[in-house]
Amino acid sequence: MDILNQLIGGFAVALQPINLFWAFVGCALGTAVGVLPGIGPALTIALLMPVTAQVNPASAFIMFAGILYGALYGGSTTSILLNTPGESGSVMTALEGNRMARTGRGAAALATAAIGSFVAGTVGTLALTFLAPAIAELAFVFGPEDYFALMVLSFTSVAVVMGRSLLRGFASLFFGLALGTIGIDTQTGQTRMVFGMLELLDGISFTVVLVSLFAIGETLYVASRHSSAPAAINPLSGGHWMTRQDWVRSWKPWLRGSVIGFPIGALPAGGTEIPTFLSYALERRLSKHPEEFGQGAIEGVAGPEAANNAAAAGILVPLLTLGLPSTATAAVLLAAFQNYGLQPGPMLFATNPDLLWGLIASLYIGNLILLVLNLPLVGIWVRLLLIPRQYIYGGIVVFALVGVWGLSTSWVDLALMCGLGLIGYIARVYDFPIAPVLIGLILGPQAEIQLRRALAVSQDDWSVLVGTPISASLLGIAALVLILPPLLAYRRRRAELRSAEPVSAN
Amino acid sequence: MSGAEQARRPEPRRRPWWLGLALAVMGALWLNGARGIASTTNYIGLGPAAIVLAVGLGLTILGVLLMLQALRGEFGTVDDEAEAPPSRRAFLFALAGVAVPLLTMQSLGFPVTAMLAFALVTHGFGSRRTILDLAIGFVLGSAAWFGFSGLGISLGGFLPLIG
Amino acid sequence: MLKRLTMAGVLTLALGAGAVSAEPAKVMIPANPGGGWDGAGRHTMAAFAQSKVFTDGASFTNKGGAAGTIGLAEFVRTAKGDDNALLVTGVIMVGGVITNKTPVSLADTTPLLRLTNEYNAIAVPANSPIKTPQDFVAALKADPGALSVGGGSAGGADHVMLALLAKHAGAPVAKINFVSFSGGEILAALGGGKIKAAISGASEFRQFAESGRIRIIAVSGPTRVDGINAPTLKEAGIPVEIGNWRGFVGAPGMSDAAKKTWLDRFAKLHATPAWKETLKSQGWEDAYLPGDAFNAFLKEENANWTSALKEVGILK
Repeated sequence: MDILNQLIGGFAVALQPINLFWAFVGCALGTAVGVLPGIGPALTIALLMPVTAQVNPASAFIMFAGILYGALYGGSTTSILLNTPGESGSVMTALEGNRMARTGRGAAALATAAIGSFVAGTVGTLALTFLAPAIAELAFVFGPEDYFALMVLSFTSVAVVMGRSLLRGFASLFFGLALGTIGIDTQTGQTRMVFGMLELLDGISFTVVLVSLFAIGETLYVASRHSSAPAAINPLSGGHWMTRQDWVRSWKPWLRGSVIGFPIGALPAGGTEIPTFLSYALERRLSKHPEEFGQGAIEGVAGPEAANNAAAAGILVPLLTLGLPSTATAAVLLAAFQNYGLQPGPMLFATNPDLLWGLIASLYIGNLILLVLNLPLVGIWVRLLLIPRQYIYGGIVVFALVGVWGLSTSWVDLALMCGLGLIGYIARVYDFPIAPVLIGLILGPQAEIQLRRALAVSQDDWSVLVGTPISASLLGIAALVLILPPLLAYRRRRAELRSAEPVSAN
Repeated sequence: MSGAEQARRPEPRRRPWWLGLALAVMGALWLNGARGIASTTNYIGLGPAAIVLAVGLGLTILGVLLMLQALRGEFGTVDDEAEAPPSRRAFLFALAGVAVPLLTMQSLGFPVTAMLAFALVTHGFGSRRTILDLAIGFVLGSAAWFGFSGLGISLGGFLPLIG
Repeated sequence: MLKRLTMAGVLTLALGAGAVSAEPAKVMIPANPGGGWDGAGRHTMAAFAQSKVFTDGASFTNKGGAAGTIGLAEFVRTAKGDDNALLVTGVIMVGGVITNKTPVSLADTTPLLRLTNEYNAIAVPANSPIKTPQDFVAALKADPGALSVGGGSAGGADHVMLALLAKHAGAPVAKINFVSFSGGEILAALGGGKIKAAISGASEFRQFAESGRIRIIAVSGPTRVDGINAPTLKEAGIPVEIGNWRGFVGAPGMSDAAKKTWLDRFAKLHATPAWKETLKSQGWEDAYLPGDAFNAFLKEENANWTSALKEVGILK
């Protein structure tokens, strides 16, 4: 009851016209930022901090929250329509979403992404409201060995994005792992694979890889293959909207994505990417239409989009209840609190209830604003595809330049963009899947660092890796995920042989 | 490296053995790099070189396998989406648009670079209204430049040379 | 030469907002937006404007990477002789120049002053048997491997502080068990008892110490830190002092007159209430050290870090 009363008090703050205005500004800005490749919510909030110094804290945070959520709504748009994810959390969305757009079902994909984001954002915000203190304790339970096990489980998700050839899939994965080794090793301070370049010491920026492999690779490919032919996709064919069947196939992935996303987002080393990997893999295993995966299965959009939004709500849990920043965006938000002389944590709930509950209430409102803002936009976004292609792709290259050059005005980044773009092109031509590159790049360094932390603390005792119930069960699930499907397939084949009658699979 | 080879072969669908070779060369590079990393670990059997070594090994093996597969003619990619035969000219123009910032970003600044990149890419896509394209590119680039400088981030000088 | 001058001219034109005589400061921040150096640069310039000590404004260039050494190299290359060009610097850059063996160093710039400091603290889980700095040093000496100590990146201030402590304890520095963490992970690992101790910025530990999840056993500055009930290492008889200081340097070949102007401006700023307010809101300690004293301090830091990084095995 206490929580409810405080939440109502929070709504009283968040519904003030001036705060509604800031929520709207934040949501609109966040959507825009999410659409642009290479410009993320962390950078945007960092840049707006000095600007908002004159605004009262409640309004500023309501706007920041809108940016955080909005970026995830917007991130899916370019993934789906142009196969160029704007944020790392939208990589998995591109897999099925872009296929859907190519077959004229872009509007349905955008709609399921927007509604899924709304559902997950609301579920996540509800969980944040009522379960935050309990969920926050997870942060202290998870040790390096548990994180390592979580990474291993996430790696199994790569199995479902391998594409048509295992060999090429693994080549992509190892290419991503290789990129991940570049830079200073934080555990020992040794430089690895930097080829004498200072610019590589901090590793290759994830943004550069994302923008180059997807946006630039796609531009080069489309330029070389499609330029002389008329546009093949009619984005408006196949109806504007989600069909009844789309709804039926979407609602479970939305909820499952929310359940996966929220707790992992709440972990200090969780982030928004891992839940999208897990959600995609799960939906593919559970789907009644597994044959559609890779051709535009709506579950593959609904699940990951829900997962990344729930994770964004999860990120706020350790930040607000413990003052623990778990991602770059959270770290910037923490700095913003400190700028106002506030220290997030249990004390802040006692000393500034209006601010915090206003912020939480604004998340509900922000989600609603984003839904209202994004659903009508679906039609407009899809019509964007009617712009002549040369301008779409010319524009993509200019925005990619903004994202890459704006990072640190580094010539090396531009060279990487060009080189990786060419590799992205080659991957498209020779049918190498791109998602495994990003999975390798994201998970590889994290898995390595958690493994080595666990071994350092245990002084090289490898048994710690299965030493906690969490790590043992996560590794167990990972093993099952890898072993079970081939085993089932084998048994089915034997059954088929024995009965010589087709078993009604699927 | 593979780009040059790519450009030389307009119809490279058949036996892309060089893809495997490139991967194997990258693997060798990583294996060699692993040798140069000092193993300063006190309590971890797994040093900073371990992962580099593992990745190098993996890349080399995968590269060799890919090469064998390609030489045996089993590579078997089907480009089922191609609506038109690949156009080398269009590709090279788009590539030039992506590469031109390497030459011009530091000397000519962001807006001019964006203008050139935009015009080259649109030209690759078959647009022939070059003046209009240059204008659109310049407007886009300048808008981005002013937007960022308004937020306190510098994208370099506006027009470093002309002043 | 011509290119640099014209670039400066255009920047002034583009950002000078009308006033012809105004000469805004061109501040190079050797880190990406949002970090500590970014805050140091932007908040200091904001305090200048707010206190009316220097009102010509400022333009910022963020050039992050490699512990600030990429920004340093860029600054030395492009700002030579520019009387209005400033670079934000700090202890991390001193370490970065040494470990990365960069061709340029702070000696290539015109050092101005040290402005702020953030001291480190040693913290342990709430139920740890380690209660005092002496306990910590004793545990380090008894079995350095068994005492897993979390901190930031290897080769950073946290790592070097642990090395100095081990050296004082007479424990083999090469045997310390330093485990690198990033961001908030270190607090979760420490609060959950996954590591035995942690070294990080004192302000980061504060909240968790207040809520009783961890205990701060020592701070690394010359004096105690407000609101933290822990002795300094000096008080405990351990002669180790280390902090994450930040300051400003001027362009290579900055004229003596300009150097004096800037030092005067900083001296005035240091006395204003606006600056006191900035220090408070950012949680910075006042560490004002201008001119020649700063030069001497830089030399000393350089020597200390070189030897410490050699001993922990990062520098060969």
